[in-house]
Amino acid sequence: MAVDMAMPILVVDDYKTMIRIIRNLLKQLGFDNVDEAADGEEAYQKMQSGAGFGLVISDWNMEPMTGYELLKQVRGDEKLKGTPFIMITAESKTENVIAAKRAGVNNYIVKPFNAATLKMKIASVIGDF
Amino acid sequence: MPATDVAAKIRGALDDIKAADLDDPRLMEVLSLAENLVDSMKLFFGSLDNSIHSEFLHIGQYIARTRDEIAALRPNDIRESRLPTAGAELEAVVNDTETATETIMTLAEDIMALTPDNLENYKAQVDAKMMGMIEACSFQDITGQRVSKVVSTLTHIEERVARFSSVMGVLDAEEEVSDEKEQWRQDNLLNGPQIDGPATGQNAIDALFDGDISDEQLGQDAIDNMFD
Repeated sequence: MAVDMAMPILVVDDYKTMIRIIRNLLKQLGFDNVDEAADGEEAYQKMQSGAGFGLVISDWNMEPMTGYELLKQVRGDEKLKGTPFIMITAESKTENVIAAKRAGVNNYIVKPFNAATLKMKIASVIGDF
Repeated sequence: MPATDVAAKIRGALDDIKAADLDDPRLMEVLSLAENLVDSMKLFFGSLDNSIHSEFLHIGQYIARTRDEIAALRPNDIRESRLPTAGAELEAVVNDTETATETIMTLAEDIMALTPDNLENYKAQVDAKMMGMIEACSFQDITGQRVSKVVSTLTHIEERVARFSSVMGVLDAEEEVSDEKEQWRQDNLLNGPQIDGPATGQNAIDALFDGDISDEQLGQDAIDNMFD
């Protein structure tokens, strides 16, 4: 099935500059419909509001709710559990990667990253575009 | 009642009895025995007082020395001046890097939005914006200096604490999770960025998600990948 390039994507990070970077990269890849949240709590509220996000790209280290807590909450939510979820984070220890995988993350990108890696990981999760 | 007062009372009683001029020899023997008892108790209590005095003197000297060592730490200077300054410097680093990043990204976005209808004009605009990016990169000089100041503060504290610990012979107590926030950080595996770059490379992570290895294997394969 062809990827819907107009699908809403949610980017979650407590650093505005990182959100701006990811927005720019997504725009270069052809994704213009991008919303943002500054932490897991705000992100979950937006997801619950029925926005129908086709992909969540989230940082890990945020307060009051981390990306890890957001992931577990999403996977535990009957309506949202199937949402593709990519973690982009500076948390690079194996315990983090394993914990995220066990919690149901679809893919994991360590910072710093480049546009090619982001494209590859998004394609692996939602399909080639 | 102090020991000296007890001895004085007993001696007083004995003197009263002696002065009564009693002839009974058994009574005199008892009085003599009592006198010897009082003398030996005086010796005993005297030595006890000396021993206790010596202990308290030693404790007093230790407390005085501890107070001098704590004063040498200059804890008030650290708490009221050095640490707040270090905190402010780090906050300034975050602000400086954010400002520089925003500037550079804006310039990059402007360049991407340019339409190269006139080559000379286009080049002039690109050059101007590139120069703006180069100028924005000067943040590294300022932030480098700020971070150096913070490192200097931390080194100062480290040296003071190390000296205190060494002089006082302090051993570490069991580490405790100090509060709810710290427990939350541990539960959420908040390790933060590593000093020499990511602890697990993207290739190792990809191998895990591609199913080439199980999560139990990730540790060793991540290491192996570094040597491939």
